[in-house]
Amino acid sequence: MSDQEKDPVVHSSLSKPLFIWSALLVLSLVWGLYDEMYGIRPWKGYEARFEKLYGRYLKQAKLPEGELERQIKSSAEYQRLTREMNAAAAEAAPAAKAIDEKVNVIVPQILALNDPFQEVRSHIGSLTYQIEVTRSESGKNSLRKQIEELKQETRKIQLPGWAEAKEMKFDDMNVLLLQMKAQKADLLQQRVEIMKKTTEISKQRDEYLTDRIPGASTETLTSVQNSLDKFDIQIRQIHIKDVDLVDRCESCHLGTREPVQLTAASMGGEQVFASHPNKELLKIHDPDKFGCTPCHGGNGVALSSVTKAHGYNKYWLWPLHHKENIEAGCQQCHVKEIVTEMAPTLNAGREIFRLRGCMGCHRYDGFDREADEMSSTTQQIHQLDQQKAEWIRQAGFDEQKANNPRTSDADAKKLFQESNDLKVRSTGIDAKIEQLDMRSRSLVREVKKVGPSLKEVRMKLKKEWIPVWLKDPHNWREGTKMPTFRLDDYEIQAIAAFIWQSGVTGQLAQQKPGDPVKGKEAFETRGCMACHSMGEGAQKQGGTFAANLSREGEKANYDYIVRWVHNPRQRTEPYCAYEKKDLTAEDYSKHNLPFVFDLEHTKCPNDGHELQVQQMTPMPSLRLTEDEARDIASYLMTKKHDNATYQDAGYMDDPNLKNKGLALVRFYGCAGCHEISGLEDEQRIGTELTKEGSKPIERLDFALLGHQAEEEGWETHKGFFEHKLADPAVYDQGKEKAKQDRLKMPNFNFSKPDIDAVTTFLEGSVDSTMPARYFYAPADQRQDIIEGWWVVRKYNCMGCHRVHVGQTTVFDTMARYQDPDWLEQKPPTLIGEGARVNPEWLMGFLNNPALSETDTDRDGVRRYLHARMPTFSFSDGEIRKLVRFFQALSSQAAPFIAQQVDPLTDQERTMARQLFTSEGAPCLKCHMTGDPKHDAKATAPNFTVAKDRLQPGWTKRWILDPAMMAPGTAMPSGLFKRDGDRWVFAGPTPASFNGYTKDQADLLVRYMFQFTPEELNRLRSSAGAGAGKP
Amino acid sequence: MDFHQLWTILSTPDNVPIVLLLFVVPFYTWYALRQSFANDRLIAELEANPEMAKTHHRKVQPYKPGWAKEVHVWPYLLRIEFLAAIIVTVILMVWSITLNAPLEEPSNPTLTMNPSKAPWYFLGLQEMLVYFDPWMAGVVMPSLIIIGLMAIPFIDANPLGNGYYTFRQRKYSILTFIFGFIVLWVSMIVIGTLIRGPGWMWFWPGTTWDHNRLIFEVNRDLPDIFGITARVGKIIFGAIVVLLYCVAAAIGVHKLLTRTSFNRKILARMSVLQYVTMQVFLVIMLALPVKIMVRLLFRIKYIWVTPWFNI
Repeated sequence: MSDQEKDPVVHSSLSKPLFIWSALLVLSLVWGLYDEMYGIRPWKGYEARFEKLYGRYLKQAKLPEGELERQIKSSAEYQRLTREMNAAAAEAAPAAKAIDEKVNVIVPQILALNDPFQEVRSHIGSLTYQIEVTRSESGKNSLRKQIEELKQETRKIQLPGWAEAKEMKFDDMNVLLLQMKAQKADLLQQRVEIMKKTTEISKQRDEYLTDRIPGASTETLTSVQNSLDKFDIQIRQIHIKDVDLVDRCESCHLGTREPVQLTAASMGGEQVFASHPNKELLKIHDPDKFGCTPCHGGNGVALSSVTKAHGYNKYWLWPLHHKENIEAGCQQCHVKEIVTEMAPTLNAGREIFRLRGCMGCHRYDGFDREADEMSSTTQQIHQLDQQKAEWIRQAGFDEQKANNPRTSDADAKKLFQESNDLKVRSTGIDAKIEQLDMRSRSLVREVKKVGPSLKEVRMKLKKEWIPVWLKDPHNWREGTKMPTFRLDDYEIQAIAAFIWQSGVTGQLAQQKPGDPVKGKEAFETRGCMACHSMGEGAQKQGGTFAANLSREGEKANYDYIVRWVHNPRQRTEPYCAYEKKDLTAEDYSKHNLPFVFDLEHTKCPNDGHELQVQQMTPMPSLRLTEDEARDIASYLMTKKHDNATYQDAGYMDDPNLKNKGLALVRFYGCAGCHEISGLEDEQRIGTELTKEGSKPIERLDFALLGHQAEEEGWETHKGFFEHKLADPAVYDQGKEKAKQDRLKMPNFNFSKPDIDAVTTFLEGSVDSTMPARYFYAPADQRQDIIEGWWVVRKYNCMGCHRVHVGQTTVFDTMARYQDPDWLEQKPPTLIGEGARVNPEWLMGFLNNPALSETDTDRDGVRRYLHARMPTFSFSDGEIRKLVRFFQALSSQAAPFIAQQVDPLTDQERTMARQLFTSEGAPCLKCHMTGDPKHDAKATAPNFTVAKDRLQPGWTKRWILDPAMMAPGTAMPSGLFKRDGDRWVFAGPTPASFNGYTKDQADLLVRYMFQFTPEELNRLRSSAGAGAGKP
Repeated sequence: MDFHQLWTILSTPDNVPIVLLLFVVPFYTWYALRQSFANDRLIAELEANPEMAKTHHRKVQPYKPGWAKEVHVWPYLLRIEFLAAIIVTVILMVWSITLNAPLEEPSNPTLTMNPSKAPWYFLGLQEMLVYFDPWMAGVVMPSLIIIGLMAIPFIDANPLGNGYYTFRQRKYSILTFIFGFIVLWVSMIVIGTLIRGPGWMWFWPGTTWDHNRLIFEVNRDLPDIFGITARVGKIIFGAIVVLLYCVAAAIGVHKLLTRTSFNRKILARMSVLQYVTMQVFLVIMLALPVKIMVRLLFRIKYIWVTPWFNI
C-alpha cells in the first residue's frame, strides 16, 4: 500500500502541528507573563529609568557643589567655628565621660531588675482582675490574701555590679526601679546641659554652610543618594481616606517632590521626571492632603498607559488639564474669587468674563454680586418684618392672657416677662432691618453695567455713526469690548432706530470750545490712560479696561463729552426701579420739588423708593475744573479719521422700525450689558455657565462638527470652548436654520491667550465632587481679601496702583513715565497699605480723596500728583470692603486700635527739629510744606497729614529702609544705622544728640506723630533761615 | 465611505466576536455541508452496491479501500481534540492580552447613552424589540426559544443521521436550523451590532453614525389602515388576522413537510402531540420574519392591538 492510500486518521502524524502549536502556546504564555509584569505596568520602566538618571544626575551635581563647599569649609569663619566646637567638646568631654560611665552602670541594672518586677506585677494584675469578676465576698477575700502573700514573698535579686544577691519584696523592687530610672533621666539631662555649647556651635556651623550654598548642599545630595540606594520598584500612591482618593501619579512622576529641583534637561530630557515647577503651591496644597488629580485632573488610579493615567481616553470624565489651561484646577475650589494668587491665566479668564460682558448674557454664580445681594437683602428684610410682626402679636396675646383674672399671679408674671422679652428682641430686628436697608440703598449705587447707557444716545452720539458701529464694532475700533453680532442690514436699521427713538432727550449746556493741546496734556497725565487707551495699532498706549478713544471725535457730541469728562456719573434723568421709568422734571414739579437728584437726593418724589441717580459706569470723577473738562473734550473731538464718511440714517426716525428693533434688542440680549429704556429688568439670554465644565459632553452641541471633532481629537470640553470662542457661530456650520434659530453669541475677536484664559476658567467651572474642606472658604481675614479683590477689579485700581507683588500698572508701560523726572508722578504702590495707614483715615480718603469739601481740585495726600486719586463715589459697603481688604493683606488686627506714641520731652522736640532740618536729612526738600512755591517741586506728602494717616510702626520701618518696601522710591535709604539694639542717625547729628541713648528713628517717628501745621511753619522759617547759611 | 466610522465600529473589542462570526459561521456551515454532501454520495453509492457495503462501512468521506472501518477514540480522536484545545488556548491567550474589556463612563441616571446597546449575544433580542412590543420580544419570544430548543429531542422522530454528517437524511432539520440560527439569530445580531446606530436607526456599513440624523417614518397599526377604531373591533379584527396567519402558516409548513416521501415517512412516525408541538413552534418562528417583512415593507406596526399585548 502506497503512502497516499494510508488512512490519514490512523497513519498521519500530528507531531508537527502539535509541536508548532505547543511552541506557540509557550510563546503566548511568555507574552502573557511579560504583559502582566511589564506590558500593562509601564511605570516599572519609568521607575527603573528614573533610578538610573537620578543617580547619574546626583553624581554630576555633587561635583560643582562639592567644590564650593570645600571652599566654604576652608574659610576662616568655618574653621573658627569648627575649632570652637572642638574646644567646647573637649572641655565638656571629661564630665560627659563620667556621666556616660554612670549611665552605663545603671542601664543594665534597670534591665535586669525589670524582669522579676514585671513577673510579679503581671501576676498581681491577673489576680486583681479575678477579684473584680468574682461575685462572692469570700472568694474576693481569698484572692486579696493571695495578692498580699505575693507581695510579701521575697526574691533573690542579683543585679550586675552588686557584690552579692539581695532578698527583695515586690515593693522594694518597685522603689528601687523608680529610683534608678529617675537617676538615669537626671544624668542624661546633665549631659545635655554639658554638651549644650557644643551643639549650639555645631548648629551655627551648619547654618553658616547652608546659608552660603545656593543649591542643595552635599548633605542633602547625600541623603537623597542614600534614599535612592534603597529605591524600590513599587507603586507609589497617595491615599486620602475621607475623599476616597487614590493617586498613583508619582509612580512615574518620581521627581515631583524631590528636595532637589529636577528639570527635564537634568534628567536626560525626560519631562516626566521633572520636579513640580512651583514648590510654593505644593507647600500650600500638600499632596498628602490634596492628592494630584483634584487639581490636575486625570485618572489617578490608572497605571496601565499614559493615555489612561492622564484621562485622555474617551470615557474619562476629568481629563488632565492641558498646560495652557492648567489653572482650571484652581477654579474648582477657588470659586468665590476674582483674583487667585499664582493663577494669572485663570484671573485673566475671569476678568474677561466679567469685563468683556460674558456675564451680560451668561449667569455665573458669584459674578452677579450686586444683583444677587440685592434680592437676598430684600428677601431678608421681608422675613424680618414678618418675624417682628409675629413677635409683637405674640407679646399682645401674652399680655391679654396675663390680664385675664383667671390667670394665676405666678403665670401672669411669667407672661409679662415673656411679652417684655419679645418686645426687646424685636428692637434687635429693627437694628438689623436698618442695616439691611442701608445696604440695599448702597447696592443701588454699586450696580454697574458692562457697556454704556443707551438711554443717552441722542445726546451723546452722532446718529449716522450708530449703524456703522453695529455692523462691525471691531472693524471700527480694534479690540473693543462690544462684540460683533451677525446682523443683516435690516436688523441693523431696526436696532439703530429703536435705540435712537428710545433715548431720553435732555438739555445740554452749550459749551465753549476748549484748548486741545492742553487737553492732550491733561488726558495723558491726569490718569485717564490708566483705563483708556489712545492710538491705533502699534501706537496704542494706555489701559485696556475702558474704550480706546482714538476715533472719539467721529462719534460723539462735544457738549456731552464735556459733561461726561467733568462728571461721568451725571445722569440726565434718574431711574425709578419701582415705577420702572426715568423720572422727568414733571415728576418732581408735581410734588413741588426742584429737579435735583444726586447722591444726597436719592428718593423718588412719587413713591419714596431709592432712585438710580448715577450712570452705572465705574468711571470716576477726576474732579476736573470745567475748563479742563472742555480741554480734554476738545482734544478728544480732534481724534478722528479724516476720510471717514457716514451715510445718512434717516430711517432711524421711522416709528415703524422701532417695534421691530425692540424685539431684536431683546432677542440679542443687548440689555445684558447696556442700560436701555424699558429693558432695565431683562433676564439673561444665555445659558448658565457656573457648572459648564462638568456638563456631560453629550450635552454640548457640536452639531455637524461632532464627527470632525471626534476624528481630530477635540471632542472635549476644551475643544468645544476653544472653537466656540474663536468663532461663536462655528456650530451653525452647515446647519439649515432660520435666522432666529441660529446661535446668537456674538464674536469677541478673542486672541489665542484670551481664548486660553476663558477656556481655563470654563474648564474649571465644574460641579466639584470634592468634600467641603477642599473649598477655599476661609472664615478669617482671607475672606476680606476675596471680597476686596472684587471691588479692586471692578474699579480697576490696578490700572494706577500696584496692589500685589509682581503686578505692573499701566503707568509702568507708558512712554512718558519712563522718564526719570516723571517717575515720582506714578501713583503710589499699595503693597503694604494696610500696615501703612490708619484705616479710619483710609475710609475718609476713599470717600473723599481730596480730603476737603471745598478745595476739591487736588489729591488729598500727594498734591503734586498730576494723576490724582479720583472720586469713585464708593458706597459704604465698598469702602468697608476696600479698607478691610488692605487691612487683611497686611495682616492687621480688626477693629483698628491706634498705636500709642510716647509724648516728646522738650529736649527731644528740639533734637527732632534739628534732625529734621539738618543737612543729613533734608526732609522738607521733597516733602510738601504748604508753601505753593515749594510744593510745585515737591514729590512727597505733607507731614501734617502723617499723624492721622500713618501708623507709627510702619513709619519707622519705612524711614529705616524705604527702598526695600518700594524699590525705586526717591526717599533715601540708609538714613539710620544700627548701633547695638537701637537705630542712630547715619549722618552727622547735631550736638544736642550727644548722650541721647534712645532710638533715634523712634524719636523722629514720635516727632512726626505730634506734628502740627504750626510746627511746620516754625520749621519752614527756621529752614529758610538755615538755607541762608553756608 | 466613512472608514473612520467603520473602523471604530469594527475595532471595538465588544464587536470583534461579531466580525469573527461574519466569517466563521458561513465557513463552518459550508464546511459541514460539504462533508454532508460527500457522505450523502457515499451513502447512495453503498446503497446501490451491497457488495461494497460489506467492506465500506464508514459513512465518512473520504474513504479508501483498506482503511479501517472504525477507529478508536483513543488515540485517534483525542489527539486531534488535544491539538484543537491547544489552538483554542493560544487564540484565547492572545485575545485576552490584546483586547481588553471595553469600559465606558460611570453610569449616569440622567443621561442615557445613544445608541444604547445590549451585550452582543443579546442584540438579537434587542433587534426584535423593533418589531414587537416589549412584552412579546422581551418575555414571550425568548421563553419560547428556550422551550422550543428543549423540545427538539422530543419531537425529533428521525432516527438517522447520528454520529456522521448528512444532509439528505436530515434535510428538514438542517434547513430549519439554518433558518432559525443563521437567518434569524445571527443576522439579527449582526444587524444590531454593525447596522443599528444612534436612535437605533438603520445605518448601512460605511455611513457615518450621525447623532443629528433625522428620518421620516410613520408606522400604523393594521386595524387603522382598515379604518377600525373601536377597541373591541380592533381586538376581534387582529385576532382574526393572526388566526388566519396561523392557519395559513400551518398549512404551508405541512405542505412543505410532506413534499418528499422520506419526510412523509418521518411524519408517520410522529404522535399527534409531537406534531402539534412542532407546528406551534414552527408557526411562531415563521412569524418573526413575516412580522419583520410586514413592518419593513408595509410600515405596519402592530397587527393585533389589545390593551394587554400587541402583536
